Amino acid sequence: MLKSLKALSLGTVLVALASTATAGDAAKGEKVFKKCQACHAVGDGAKNKLGPHLNDLFGRTAGEIDGYKYSNAMVKAGEDGLVWDMETTRTYLAKPKAMIKGTKMAFAGLRKDADLDNILAYLATYSEDAGNGSEQSEAPSQDSGSQVAAASASTDPFAAAASNTRDDGVFGLGRIALAEEVAAWDIDIRPDGQGLPEGSGTVADGEVLYTDNCAMCHGDFGEAVDRWPVLAGGHDTLTDDRPEKTIGSYWPYLSTVYDYVRRAMPFGNARSLSDDEVYAITAYLLYLNDLVDDEEFELSKNNFLDIRLPNEENFIADDRAEEAHYAEKGEPCMTDCKPGPVEITMRARILDVTPDDGGDDNAGVGAVD
Amino acid sequence: MTETKDKGTPSLSRRSLLKAGLASGVTAGAAGAASAARAAGDPLIMEIQDWNRYLGDGVDAAPYGLPSEFESEVVRRNVPWLTADAVASINFTPLHELDGIITPNGLCFERHHGGVAQIRPQDHRLMINGLVDTPLVFTMEDLKRFPRENHVYFLECAANGGMEWRGSQLNGCQFTHGMVHNVMYTGVKLKTLLEEAGVKTNGKWVLPEGADAAHMTRSIPMEKALDDCLVAWKMNGEALRAEQGYPLRLVVPGWEGNMWVKWLRRLEVGDQPWHHREETSKYTDLLETGKARRFTWVMDPKSVITSPSPQMPVSHGKGPMVISGLAWSGNGRITRVDVSLDGGQNWKTARIDGPSLSKSLHRFYLDIDWDGSEMLIQSRAMDEHGFYQPTKNELRAARGENSIYHNNGIQTWYVHKNGAVENVEVS
Repeated sequence: MLKSLKALSLGTVLVALASTATAGDAAKGEKVFKKCQACHAVGDGAKNKLGPHLNDLFGRTAGEIDGYKYSNAMVKAGEDGLVWDMETTRTYLAKPKAMIKGTKMAFAGLRKDADLDNILAYLATYSEDAGNGSEQSEAPSQDSGSQVAAASASTDPFAAAASNTRDDGVFGLGRIALAEEVAAWDIDIRPDGQGLPEGSGTVADGEVLYTDNCAMCHGDFGEAVDRWPVLAGGHDTLTDDRPEKTIGSYWPYLSTVYDYVRRAMPFGNARSLSDDEVYAITAYLLYLNDLVDDEEFELSKNNFLDIRLPNEENFIADDRAEEAHYAEKGEPCMTDCKPGPVEITMRARILDVTPDDGGDDNAGVGAVD
Repeated sequence: MTETKDKGTPSLSRRSLLKAGLASGVTAGAAGAASAARAAGDPLIMEIQDWNRYLGDGVDAAPYGLPSEFESEVVRRNVPWLTADAVASINFTPLHELDGIITPNGLCFERHHGGVAQIRPQDHRLMINGLVDTPLVFTMEDLKRFPRENHVYFLECAANGGMEWRGSQLNGCQFTHGMVHNVMYTGVKLKTLLEEAGVKTNGKWVLPEGADAAHMTRSIPMEKALDDCLVAWKMNGEALRAEQGYPLRLVVPGWEGNMWVKWLRRLEVGDQPWHHREETSKYTDLLETGKARRFTWVMDPKSVITSPSPQMPVSHGKGPMVISGLAWSGNGRITRVDVSLDGGQNWKTARIDGPSLSKSLHRFYLDIDWDGSEMLIQSRAMDEHGFYQPTKNELRAARGENSIYHNNGIQTWYVHKNGAVENVEVS
C-alpha cells in the first residue's frame, strides 16, 4: 500500500485527500518538510536521524519506534495514549513544547496554517493510515509515464542557444551570460562589502528566525546540538587544549557569516531566506556572541562594514616552509638516527575508537573540518 | 618495545583477530593440506569442484561489472562519531586493500557538505562571470568541444590524518590516511575556459562554486588557475561518479581536496580573495600561539605503509614479506621513499614501482626476509624539491595539536610477532 501510494503522482494523492480532513498540498508540503529533514527522514529506506523516521507516522503511538531514544516526556505521552493523526500532529507541529513539555525536538513550530496543512498532506503520502481515522479508498493507479515524458520534453529555451558558437572568443564556444542570470547565481560577498544586497534586519527579528531555522542544530544559544557547529562563545580559548572556534572567537570576517547563511543555510533548505532575514540572523549571531548588546540593533548594508570581528588580526600567511623540519633539514638520516632505544609512547588500542573494532560506542577526539 | 613485552601479548582488535585468525586458519589448513597432500593429495586439486563442472553466468549477467563476491570487505567506511550527520560527512578509501596507484572509482572516499547532488547533464550549466571581457554560459556539450587533456592526480582532504594530531587513535590506514584517492581525469584546462571569457588585467583570483545544496566556494589565486587546474567530466575513463561531482568538477592538482569543487557551476574572476566559510572558519590551521594560518593550499609530502597495517595483518609467518605503501606530494613527483623497520632508527630506500607522475600517488615496495620478530615500521617520502616528511613530534613542536589539517607526519605501525599490526607512536 505504501509503495503503491508513492507510485501515484502527488496530484492523485491530493484528490484522495481533498475529500478528507485536510486541504493541504503534498507538493508544497515537501518544501515545508525541508525544515524538518536535517533531523527527520521519510520515504524509502528512511532511518532514524537526530529525530525518528516519519514513515507510517499516522496511526503510530507516540514514542514507539524501536531503536530511537525518545525524551521521557514523549514516551510518557505514548503511554498515556497519544496516537499521531492529523489532529494531534497538527497541534504538536504548531507548538511542540506547548503540547509535550520536555520533548527533545528543538523545532519551535510551524506558524502558518497553510504550512501545517501542506506538511500533513505530505506526511500522509508516506502513511498507510491517512490520519483521519476513516478508511481511505484505494485511489486508482494512474500511469504517470506521460507526465514524466512531458516534463523532460519541456526543453530549456536556452539549451539550444548555448550550444551554438559565438562570433568572438578563442573557440567561440558557449553563449553570453545574461545580466539577470549572473545576478541569480552571483550571490557571493567579500569582506570589503562587495556583493552585500540592500536590506536590513534586527536582533529581535533574528531571534525568531534563528529559533525556527537554526536552533535545532546550533542550539538555542549557538552552543550546538551534538556535533553540529558551535556558533557562539569560546572567547579566549584559541590557545586552550580544546579551542572553541566560533564566529566570535575565531572567524575573521562578518561577511563570511552573511555569505554562508545565504548560500547554504538552513541546512537542507538553502536559499530559502530573504536578504532581510539573513541580515536579521546575522545580527542575532552578533548578539549571541556579545558583539552587539541591543536587541533593537539593526544590521544593514549601510552599517555592515562598521562591525569587525575580534579575531581578524590573528590570521597569517602560509609559512610552513619556514618550519624547522622543512627549512633546516639537510639529507635525511639513514642510520643510527635516534639517541636511545626506540620506545612506544602511545597506542591507538588504548583509546579504541576504531569503527568495527569493538570501539563503536566510543567517540574519539578531533575533527575533519 | 620493552613496555609491550612486560605486558605480554596485547589483545588484538576484533577485525585483525578475524583476519589473522582466518589467515592462520588458512595457514594451518594449508599446512594440513600439505601433509594430507603427502598422503592423499590436496582435495582442492584431487576433487572436481563445482566451478570446474558447472557453467557460470553469461556475458550480460552484470551489464556494469562489479567486484567478485569474495571482495565484499573492500568498501569505503566512515567513522560515525566524527560528524553529526551523514549528509555533511566523510568516508575513507580502503587503501590497505588496494595496490598500484589508481583508485577504483567506487572506492574513492567521499566528502559532502550537503549530500550528493543528482544533476542531469542536460540541466547543468557552467557560468564564468566577474572580471572577464565576456561573461559566458556553457553547457556540458559546449565543454566537450574544447581541446581536452588527461592527467593522473591525487586528491587529498586537508584533514586526512586530522584525528591523529593528539596521538594515535584509529587502527587502520583506511582511517588514518584514507581521505586520499588517485584518478585519471579527462577535462579541459581551466586556463582555456578563462581565456575564452577573457580575464581582465585586474583579475587575480577565481572563485569556483558548486551547484549542490552547500554551494561550495573557495578562492583560488589566478596563477594556479592558469597553471594546471582542469575542469573535468571523466574519472578513470568513465563519467564522474555522482559523489565525485557528476557531471563536472574542478581539479586543483596537489592542493587540498576541499578546493576541488564538485558539481561545478560557476567560476567568478575577482581582484581579491573572498574569505568564504571554507577558507576562514574551516581549512585554516590553528597554531599553538592562537594564530591561524590561512590559504595553506599545498599538500605536503606524505606516505603510509598500506600493508602490513592494522586492517591488513601479516598472515604468513616469517620469511619473504612484501612491505607496500603509497607516497605523494603536492609539490610534484616523489623521488624517494625510505622505510624503517625499527621505529626510525635505521632506514632503507624502498623501490618505487609503476608510473612516477607529478602530484600523483606513487607505489613503493620493500621486499624483506622477516625473521618473525617485532617491528616498528615507518615510511618517509621525499619529493623532487627535497622536501621530506617530518615526524609527528616535529609537527607538534612547530604547530601544537589543534591544527586539524595538514598532518603529514611519519606513521608508525607496530607489527607483533603473531602478525597483528597496531597504530602506535614512538619516541
